[in-house]
Formats: sequence, C-alpha cells, structure tokens
Amino acid sequence: MNIKKLGKLALPYLVWMLVLVGIPLLMIFILSFMNTDGVSFAGATWTTAAWEKMFTLADTTNLQILGYTFLTAFVATVICFLIGYPMAYIVARSPFSNKFVILILTIIPMWSNSLLRNVALKNILSESNILDSLLSRIGLSFSIVFANQDQATFISIVIGLVLTFLPFMILPIYTVIEKIDESLLEASMDLGANRVRTFAKVTFPLSMKGVTTGIIMVFLPCFSGFAIQKLLSSGTVYVLGSLIEVNYIHDINFVSMLSIVILVLIFGSMMIVNKVDKEGATLV
Amino acid sequence: MAKKLIELKDITKMYDGTAVVDHINLYINENEFITLLGPSGCGKTTTLRMIGGFEKPDSGEVVMNGAVVNDIPPYERPINTVFQRYALFPHLNVYDNIAFGLRNQKVPKAEIAERVENALKMVSLPNFALRKVANLSGGQMQRVAIARAIVNKPKILLLDEPLAALDLKLRQNMQYELKEMQRKLGITFVYVTHDQEEALTMSDTIVVMKDGVIQQIGTPTGIYNEPKNRFVARFIGESNILDGVYVRQNLVSFMGAEFDCVDTQFADGEPVDVVIRPEDLDIIDAVGAKLIGEVSSSIFRGVHFELCVMVQGKEFVIHTYENRKVGEHVGLRVDSYEIHLMKVEHVEH
Ligand SMILES: Nc1ncnc2c1ncn2[C@@H]1O[C@H](COP(=O)(O)OP(=O)(O)OP(=O)(O)O)[C@@H](O)[C@H]1O
Ligand SMILES: [Mg+2]
Repeated sequence: MNIKKLGKLALPYLVWMLVLVGIPLLMIFILSFMNTDGVSFAGATWTTAAWEKMFTLADTTNLQILGYTFLTAFVATVICFLIGYPMAYIVARSPFSNKFVILILTIIPMWSNSLLRNVALKNILSESNILDSLLSRIGLSFSIVFANQDQATFISIVIGLVLTFLPFMILPIYTVIEKIDESLLEASMDLGANRVRTFAKVTFPLSMKGVTTGIIMVFLPCFSGFAIQKLLSSGTVYVLGSLIEVNYIHDINFVSMLSIVILVLIFGSMMIVNKVDKEGATLV
Repeated sequence: MAKKLIELKDITKMYDGTAVVDHINLYINENEFITLLGPSGCGKTTTLRMIGGFEKPDSGEVVMNGAVVNDIPPYERPINTVFQRYALFPHLNVYDNIAFGLRNQKVPKAEIAERVENALKMVSLPNFALRKVANLSGGQMQRVAIARAIVNKPKILLLDEPLAALDLKLRQNMQYELKEMQRKLGITFVYVTHDQEEALTMSDTIVVMKDGVIQQIGTPTGIYNEPKNRFVARFIGESNILDGVYVRQNLVSFMGAEFDCVDTQFADGEPVDVVIRPEDLDIIDAVGAKLIGEVSSSIFRGVHFELCVMVQGKEFVIHTYENRKVGEHVGLRVDSYEIHLMKVEHVEH
C-alpha cells in the first residue's frame, strides 16, 4: 500500500476533523482574543482582556485558582501512582491464571457511581458521619480531625480524586507489566542482578510507557474537572473547571481562554506520551 | 584428577504430571566442555535451567563445588547463560545489554568499555555498540546474547543452542572462538544442541538424552564408535542397524551369514543389534561376497558418494569415494573391528 492511497483514504476523516474539531478550536482561540456578547460576532472587538484577567499580577485570584488546581491534580496523581504501581505490579506478577479478573475485582468499587461515592466520602470525612452514628450504638466513636477547614478541603478533594481516577493509573501499568517477558527477568538475575536491582534496571524501565499513560490519564481529568472538587468542598473551592462552569454563560471569551490553557496542557502531555511511546515501540 | 564442579544427583522435574527430566545423574568437571544432545523436547533446556537456578528440581540435588545449591537464586551462582530465545533487554542498546552483568559487579567504567569492545569483536559485531537490539537480525541478536554472557568470564557458561541462527561459516567461526575461550579462560561449558555434528566437534563429553532420560554419556569418539543402543546409534550420525545373533565369542551372524567380530560381552546365542557405519562398508565384487545387493540410488555428497544398496530387502547406506551405477550388483565387506554390537532394548520406539 502506498502513501498516496492512504492519503486518499484519510481524506474523509480529515474533512470530518476539520469541520468538527479544527474550526471549533480555531473559533475558541479567536474568541479568547475578543470581546463578544456570547457566541456572536456582532459588535465584537479585539482584546487581550481575557488573557490579562488570568495572567495578571494585579489580581492573582485566578492565578491562585490555577495553582490550586494544579496542586490538587499533582498530589492526586502522585498518590495514584504510589498506590497504583504496587497494585498493578503485585497482580501482574501474581501466579494466578485469571489475573485480569482479580484486577477488575480490586477496582470495581471505584467504578460505582462517582456522585454517590463522593457524597459518601464527604459524609465519612465530616464530623458527624455515618460510621460514627453506627459505632456510637456500641459506645465507640469515629471522626477524622483536621487542623483547619482548608486542610480538610484539600485532603477531601485529593482523596476524592484518587478514589475516582486510580483505575486509570492501575490499568495501563498492569497491561505493560503483564506483557514483560519473564525471560528478561531471568536474564537479569542470570547476570547477577538481585530482585531489587532487576526491578530497577529491567521491570521499571520497561513499564515506563504504562506509567506515562497512567499519569496523563489521571492528571488530565484531575486538572480539568470540577464536580468532585465542588462536591467535596461544598462549593467553597474554585478550580479551573469551576471557573468555566460559572463563567460560560456571561463571559465566553474568558472561558475560551481557559479552554485554550487546558488544551495546551493536554497537547503538551500528549507529546510526552508520544515521545515515550516511540521509545516504547521497541518494547512490543 | 579433574575436579567435579557440578553434580546432578538423581534429578527429576515434573510438568503437569509427566517427568520431563527423569532421574538424571551427571557430573561435570572443571573446564570440561559437556554437551547435552537430544531431539526437540527431550529436556535439554529444562536440565540447563535447573543448573542455572531458574527451575527447582522436584527431587534430587544440584551440587556445585560440593555444596547443594537447589535454593540458591541465579544471581548468586557463578554462572552465565546464553538463552535459547536470546532474552536481550529491549530498552537497552547493544552496549548496555553486554555491559549489564559487568555493571552489576561494579566493574570500573573504563574496564567495562574495553571488555564490551572485545566481546563485540569476538562475536564479529564491531561498531554495533549503539544499535537498538530490536533492529538486529536473529543471528546478530544471538551473537549479542553470546557476548553478553561471555563478557563476564563466569566459572560456568550455559549455552542453549547458541549457534542455531547462524550460517555455516559464522557458526564454524564461533565454534572455534568458543573452544578457544574454554582453553584460555578455563571456563566450564555446558552446551545444548540438537546438531550432532556440532556436538561431536566441540565436546569433551557428550550426554545423549531422550524423553528426559540419559541414554549414554561418553567422549565423542566413544559415543560415535560404540553407541549403547539403537537410539544413540541413529541419533549420532547415519547407521546401518541390523538384527543379529551372537553365535559365540568373536562370531556374530546376521543377514544369513556369519562374521568375525571383536565384541565379547554377550552370551552365546543372544540376540543383538548390529551397527555398521556407512563409511565402514566397502564395496567389492559380488562374486564370493557374504553380502550381495543391487545399488538402488547414488547421491553425490561433496567429498563422497552416498550409495543405497538393497541386500535381501534391507537397505544399506554406504559412503564411498567410488561411484557405482544404479542397478549394478555389488558385494559388501566389513572389517571385524568395525562391526559394533549392542544389547537389544526391550522397549523400542
Ligand atoms: N514451563 C513448562 N511448563 C510445562 N511444560 C514444560 C515447561 N517447560 C518445558 N516443558 C515441557 O518439557 C519438555 C522438555 O522441554 P525442554 O524445553 O527442556 O526441551 P528441549 O530439549 O530444550 O527441546 P528443544 O530442543 O526443542 O529446545 C517439553 O515437552 C516441554 O513442552
Ligand atoms: Mg530447548
């Protein structure tokens, strides 16, 4: 098959992409540099007001929100990795024949309805919670004490994010570790590397592709979402996603700008994945 | 006296209820080149893996330097392996693959560079250091696998069909290089192959296996000239194997005639298997010969001709320098010391 034929086959897809993705994206980009009344170009003028509203040092509220969003997403991703990698590793290296089923069993609870789960979580983390009221009947008590409200909110949000997105970390890592040829580990031990060194020099490098995918699959929704954060902070905390939520009706330009910021981040991470993937292509 | 380096004592390995390696007893001397030879699936790799520590025997002991090592992990054994399926690290280039073992031993950088370079030269892959292993050909991967093992100069080297993917010229080259290494570095080689010619040319000792059972252990000439049973005779080179009867001392009868022989360890009247190598049969005039037949085919094999001669409905293979025409009637002669007698086995496959 030659390139030209492929090119022709790709044409409908390209048109499709252009109409449904390219043009809307371009619109968003243009809108972020305008002052419009909703999605209408009547009486519109060019301005960088939306960008200034975000990246100004005069009023750092929005920058702080960006920072807070990043921090929660980052911490949640790190924790997902710290929990997810060992889980994926242990299951993938277990001697069972139907490992995937075991893996699914461990992550099924995380696939229960996200809203219900987070409401429950919120309840458990609050002072008068369901566990406490149950335990009080046998004379025990249960409540988690936080230093202050900010800390409580931050920790709740991180826990909520971790519980929701952990499977997205576990699955890709599990997949790559499962695929690593046992004979490579034997070769490593044959060459004098003990189990720890074999992990560091062979298993972990060979699982990097899954780790990168997992990190991006967790970080992106943590960074761009808002529902979990809103619920767990009782609406007291703003993240980037909430800025979009509250502004999309009356300030389309500001919202467009926010979308671009998130998009740049997504594309940036995609490029990282692609790079790792290319090196990873030799793994398969 | 040579020192015993490795001993396998009554080793058995079961997979799914069948013994893949069945009560093997074997010892390997220091600096010996020992070859496990046998058909596919006979348990060669499994035996090697138990020596390497990747597999635990279900019963029996692996002894190394006098100590039982059944529970010693591979990384604590003075052994390196060339794996049948190479097992090169895909995330490392050729250089890093070969340097892997040296780095584990904390060898200084400069020395690593030098030893890797030498190893690459030895396997005829200079200038390959920075290549990705995924882009190498099968033969090149195999040579990197050899380099990765020998660069460590281990006490014991296990090689699982290490030359299978190489062409004839390269294979002979590597055979020579490996023999040289054994001589120079005093490494003990445990070599697996199913190529009998390779086994005969390289080994000090050959272990012929079949279905997880050792059939015969001996020197190449010993195994070639005095195979213990039909299986060994057939597996080590071509053979004419005939049913015979040991008439009395130094006399055996087969194909309706009696022949002098030198074997003596049989009872009078005992049935025996008679082995005659193709190159030990001479073609003579049909008149007066004990074995008379008709040439049924003739193939030129480079140095010699391979003739098939039908004698009383039984086909004899003969290697000779003189060609004979198909259909010609010829006589066959064999010297008494080239008639080899074997005990008849009760179980035959
Ligand atoms: N892990 C395993 N599980 C089950 N059966 C196995 C396992 N490893 C080997 N076997 C079986 O044990 C037998 C011997 O295998 P082994 O690999 O030792 O043969 P081999 O002599 O090396 O053959 P080849 O020349 O084809 O490499 C084969 O029948 C094989 O299918
Ligand atoms: Mg094998």
